[in-house]
Amino acid sequence: MDAVRRSLLGQLARLSAGAALVPLSSLAPASLAQAGINQQPARREGDPSKRYGMLIDLRQCIGCQACTVSCHIENAAPLGQFRTTVSQYEVHHQESGELATFMLPRLCNHCENPPCVPVCPVEATYQQQDGIVVVDSDRCVGCAYCVNACPYDARFINERTQTADKCTFCAHRLEAGLLPACVESCVGGARIIGDMRNPDSQISRLINEHRDALMVLQPEKNTLPQVFYLGMDERFTTRPVAEPVALEVLAPHGQEMGYEFHH
Amino acid sequence: MNSTIELLAPRYDIAWYPWAVQYFFMIAVSYASLWLAAPALVFGKQSWLPTARLALIACVSTTLVAPVALLADLHQPLRFWHFYAYANTHSWMSIGSVVLPLYLISVLGFAWLAWRPALQARQQAAGLNGLIAKWLSMGSGATPKALVALVGLAALMLSSGIMLYTGAELAIVKARPLWNTIWLPPMLVASGFIAAAGLILVLNRVSRICAPDATRQMLYVLLAFCALAGLIALSWLLDGLNAHVGSVAAALESVRFSPSWRSTALWGGLTGVALFASVVFLLTRSAQRQPALFAWAWLLGLVAIHMGWMFRWVVLMDVQHVARNSAGFHHYGIPAGSSGILGIVGTFGLWLAAILLIELFIPWRQAQQGSQLPGNDQAASRAPLTANKGAPSHG
Ligand code: SF4
Ligand code: SF4
Ligand code: SF4
Repeated sequence: MDAVRRSLLGQLARLSAGAALVPLSSLAPASLAQAGINQQPARREGDPSKRYGMLIDLRQCIGCQACTVSCHIENAAPLGQFRTTVSQYEVHHQESGELATFMLPRLCNHCENPPCVPVCPVEATYQQQDGIVVVDSDRCVGCAYCVNACPYDARFINERTQTADKCTFCAHRLEAGLLPACVESCVGGARIIGDMRNPDSQISRLINEHRDALMVLQPEKNTLPQVFYLGMDERFTTRPVAEPVALEVLAPHGQEMGYEFHH
Repeated sequence: MNSTIELLAPRYDIAWYPWAVQYFFMIAVSYASLWLAAPALVFGKQSWLPTARLALIACVSTTLVAPVALLADLHQPLRFWHFYAYANTHSWMSIGSVVLPLYLISVLGFAWLAWRPALQARQQAAGLNGLIAKWLSMGSGATPKALVALVGLAALMLSSGIMLYTGAELAIVKARPLWNTIWLPPMLVASGFIAAAGLILVLNRVSRICAPDATRQMLYVLLAFCALAGLIALSWLLDGLNAHVGSVAAALESVRFSPSWRSTALWGGLTGVALFASVVFLLTRSAQRQPALFAWAWLLGLVAIHMGWMFRWVVLMDVQHVARNSAGFHHYGIPAGSSGILGIVGTFGLWLAAILLIELFIPWRQAQQGSQLPGNDQAASRAPLTANKGAPSHG
């Protein structure tokens, strides 16, 4: 059953990545906005002539976590809370006994149909016209509904501000003409960000070139993620059937932050 | 098939704390007991009056405490006014934030009307009780039955809004497949009625009212809603059994891979069946044996409350432990502070305080559907009861 399910999802992943790209390539403005309950409110702010997206070339990622660290510093996230992180897997081929590692950088997908946005009771989280999903931390009441609504664990309640926090594609840096911290620091050049409405941008060219090979995470949720993975194994597009390794990573004051490999 | 080991994953905390369980529990007991108070206090069925009096105190006390728990679950509680400053129609939570205060007002209005005749009768009492009764009853005018019924109807309508929004709020969350099913809202309602009926059984005992009619009626309510809950669970299961994704698939996966989910599922199933079987047992005993057995029905009431609360704990807390993006389950020890144990105990304490305050200052045992002649309410309430004697009871 799992094999069936996985390959089904893999196909969905491809189809859905393709489908998400259609409105962008034709430069049509996104028309998902509707008024009903749990439907997307109108986008506001941001440059309507742009649509930011990211392509992550997994073949280039070495799992160094430089992106994790630089993001952590740039955005002053509290210890143990991350706007981006790189999941690392060890894959064991049961017949040949071969071992391989798999790295999966994760961040907010700035979904075209973001489930985190309509749930916000005070419209503190919203999607800009350039596609970036942001949180107005002065308005956020910290109800954490959006944290539960994001299928990708991309959001968290910032311990310090007690409001919702997430990746913004480093909107403050983009505005200043800089690259996001994770892209800037990426050792392998695996993370490519850009305006997908500009046909000449690097990301547009790469998307055109690799259109059929691109995949997104959890396509069956119909969130239309705009972080595209190249060199992805479809089995990792959903929650992996994996055994977590239970040794805890502790912060200096003994707080558990994560799990680490031990064997 | 390959086997995979996840080497490094951050620790994702739960986003909603036990406060949320308390809110969902209190508000469900509140709307369900409102409906159990309705037959007598809205539709004038005198045989339900003892039940209605118990149901009303259950309803008012939980309605008062629920919003406190809700507020406490916000990480920025002082910004609650943002809900109204930035209200919108696309968020179920925003819709809820409008319905909830209206519901609260309607329940308080309804209870005030139902308690008013007894408060008026107490106006001349000595000491603080008399003062409070004088102040609360606001004059000695009549309380028309129609008005009580009307306000009751409004409260019932608003309570449907609460049932809808609390259920939908969870059911639309695609990110949590276990919530993302249309069977969750009706299950929340059914388990809410189970908990409310249980609470009324317990209140019937601890208030020493021990009305046998109320016990029998609540046993029938338990019977009906246990059966309904079973049907809903079965439909949910059959509905999703063959799907590769979705709520049932996620549940089966959880049960398959997690021992704690296995024992939770087992516990829930067994308790439900045991509760149902005991209720059937009690209701099928001979008329001579029933009084002795009914004296113990409050124990079933405790089990029913436990079911209603546990269901919400599993749905709201345990489901948040299922990792969405990484492997396995996140473990969350309930912290001792206000976001954990203290919060749970605190809300129950507050609730107890609310019940005690009502017990101290409000003659809730004499609640009734209005009165024409102030002061004569005792007689007025007794007359139809006498007339009803010998009539078949529609428990
Ligand atoms: S990844 Fe999560 S937080 Fe980001 S836009 Fe999509 S649903 Fe929202
Ligand atoms: S936590 Fe803040 S941003 Fe998220 S839904 Fe609640 S109010 Fe909106
Ligand atoms: S910095 Fe680049 S290479 Fe290093 S883990 Fe992040 S995405 Fe991979």
